[in-house]
Amino acid sequence: MTKHDESEEVSRAIVKIQAGVLAFVCAMIGGIGLFVMTAWLLIKGGPKVGQHLQLLGQYFPGYSVTWKGSLIGFFYGAIVGGIIGWIIGKIYNGIVGIRQH
Amino acid sequence: MLEVSIIGAGPAGLTAAYELSKLGLKSTVIEADHQVGGLSRTVNYRGYRFDIGGHRFFSKVPLINELWQEILGEDFLVRPRLSRIHYDGHFFDYPLKAFNALAGLGPVEAFLVGLSYTKAKLFPSEEETTFEQWVSNRFGHRLYRIFFKTYTEKVWGIPCTEISADWAAQRIKNLSLSEAIRNALFGSGRTKNGQIITTLIDNFYYPRLGPGMMWERCKELLAARGHETIHETRVEKIRHRHGRVECIYGKTFSGELVEFGGDHFLSTMPLRELIQALDPAPPEEVLQAAKNLRYRDYLTVVLIVRRETVFPDNWIYIHTPGVKMGRIQNYKNWSPEMVPDPTRTSLGLEYFLWDKDEEWNWSNDRLIELGIRECAQIGLIDPTEIEDGTVVRMKKAYPVYDQKYYENLAILRQYLETFSNLQTIGRNGLHRYNNQDHSMLTGIYAARNIVGEKYDVWSVNTEMEYHEESRVEKTETSKKKVFSKVGDTTLGDRQVPTRIVPATTASHISPDEIIEAVFAKLDPLALGTAVGIVSGLSLFLATIILLLKGGFVVGPNLSLLRHYFLGFRVTWSGAFIGLVEAGIGGFILGYLIAWLRNWGMRAYAFLLKKRAEAEAQRRLLDDV
Ligand SMILES: Cc1cc2nc3c(=O)[nH]c(=O)nc-3n(C[C@H](O)[C@H](O)[C@H](O)COP(=O)(O)OP(=O)(O)OC[C@H]3O[C@@H](n4cnc5c(N)ncnc54)[C@H](O)[C@@H]3O)c2cc1C
Repeated sequence: MTKHDESEEVSRAIVKIQAGVLAFVCAMIGGIGLFVMTAWLLIKGGPKVGQHLQLLGQYFPGYSVTWKGSLIGFFYGAIVGGIIGWIIGKIYNGIVGIRQH
Repeated sequence: MLEVSIIGAGPAGLTAAYELSKLGLKSTVIEADHQVGGLSRTVNYRGYRFDIGGHRFFSKVPLINELWQEILGEDFLVRPRLSRIHYDGHFFDYPLKAFNALAGLGPVEAFLVGLSYTKAKLFPSEEETTFEQWVSNRFGHRLYRIFFKTYTEKVWGIPCTEISADWAAQRIKNLSLSEAIRNALFGSGRTKNGQIITTLIDNFYYPRLGPGMMWERCKELLAARGHETIHETRVEKIRHRHGRVECIYGKTFSGELVEFGGDHFLSTMPLRELIQALDPAPPEEVLQAAKNLRYRDYLTVVLIVRRETVFPDNWIYIHTPGVKMGRIQNYKNWSPEMVPDPTRTSLGLEYFLWDKDEEWNWSNDRLIELGIRECAQIGLIDPTEIEDGTVVRMKKAYPVYDQKYYENLAILRQYLETFSNLQTIGRNGLHRYNNQDHSMLTGIYAARNIVGEKYDVWSVNTEMEYHEESRVEKTETSKKKVFSKVGDTTLGDRQVPTRIVPATTASHISPDEIIEAVFAKLDPLALGTAVGIVSGLSLFLATIILLLKGGFVVGPNLSLLRHYFLGFRVTWSGAFIGLVEAGIGGFILGYLIAWLRNWGMRAYAFLLKKRAEAEAQRRLLDDV
């Protein structure tokens, strides 16, 4: 970045991510995402409903492409999304902290 | 108690006296004229009041807004602004609007203007050192000739090819990215600290009886506190010894010489005259530098017209070639109380001259005749409607920024700094093209310096409007002082004076703090690393969960990821390969997200700035 560019900076601050907020957002995306994906396949119907999505059952005990499974999927999606968001937030902030010092 | 003598009862001198009175110091203001206000006075001719020009009150310095309201209170009105450009029989909107300008110019001229604009955009002049080049590069040469050249040359008396591009560029350059964003997001009427200020775009403040009212009232307030303003006494000699002014001598209208003592002296008289009045005389180099300073003089012809309404504008810029006047003021539209009889209108025709110009020495009758002829020529009035007229001449109205002025000023400044008890302030006292607000601010600083503060009055200039706003900094000590308080932007209907509504309180989170937070950058490296670690570990975990669970064929679906991650299998070694590759992929993704988000915010900020610059360019005449 040139000297001129620096003087044209609007903000010199670096974003600090609120890990809790990011976790919540990712949890919602994960939970609602999995719920909608499951529900969508159920509404579409067909001879073999959700044969690939079903495989998530390998990781999420109790999950299946059924209406009950969609609620369980919401729960799992939210937990995994929340953990991913929280970890990303924490690691990001940690690195920003190290780089600023 | 310290005593201070102040030369000149213009805005700077009176504000200094006012500030000194607040600080508990005694001062005496010595004024050459019979009236106070200097260039900001209001002349009263048989009940018709008029300014020297037209004085809009606007400032981005909250302290000054506060002071104006403190002095005038209810008599300080918010007035709507309308000004247009007259060119070749047509009126054009100001600030310039593309369609209005092209429609007024007619199809042929509009086409030529379009061509010249396109040419300027495709092949701009590489050299941009003169005002002509600067404006032509932005508007095209044809529009420059129509809307900028004549008026600028009338005001400054110098060809635009000899005027530096700097001062035009100044205003645009000074528009910082953060200011442009602040204006776009929070409106242009706020300072960095979120305080509301008057925008000079569609309205401005104006005293009910003209700007002179502000200074008459200030004088009265000073008198009530026991501080004298002495009139009709021109300071002609300043006696000094060992770097201290001992006393000043003023000559009254009757020729009597009066001596004024004091511990400190403030001068708003033109620098050239001040240096020449010093006794003993300064070194030759200093005298020569003072002699080299140039001033543009100004003359206004006031015509009383037997008509209720002549035009709706506060003023009109006259760009029509072959007409000497530069602007016409309609004082009734500044405040209805500027005329004693509502069936009459008073027009102020402004002529920018050098005092050696032939017209300067014309008789008043001849100048009035010229004014009537020119007004009729551009179709504003019928000569038979003129009831009366008068002329006011104002020497040294504009300090000229010629090629050498800065050098000369540096010599004078250096010399004046050898005096321990003399400060020069105000427009001509600093040879700065300052408006009232900055002239006043120098008065306030000088007064505070007397009680031991260390403000640099020379640092107050037009740039300050953009950079300093409410904050004043001691240049050397970097100690900061923040003045709070708010002005008001309540608008009134056209032609109806409105009163100031009491100040509102500012939010304690300033716009700048909000902008700083909103436009803060994501750290691409950090986000890349975070997303990389999470992606790598996720794939690693997904793989080993399947491995631990075992089965006949382990992870046939997950292993399809090998199409993306080279060498990946649902095996123990594959888990590590996935960890590394998904980590790298995640890093790139995170980095890109952060970079794109930062780039988008920056692009948005620059878009706002470009818009603000275009707006400022359209208002360039305000600064001429
Ligand atoms: C045409 C025109 C339009 C303007 N429009 C605006 C505007 O819209 N808004 C705005 O804010 N500003 C405007 N200004 C600028 C404004 O007038 C000045 O910034 C302001 O008046 C400067 O104040 P001052 O006290 O520094 O100087 P001045 O106003 O020049 O006052 C100096 C005083 O000192 C007196 N004096 C000089 N020499 C001596 C001496 N030897 N002895 C005793 N007394 C002396 C003079 O008589 C005068 O009264 C305009 C100026 C002009 C010329």
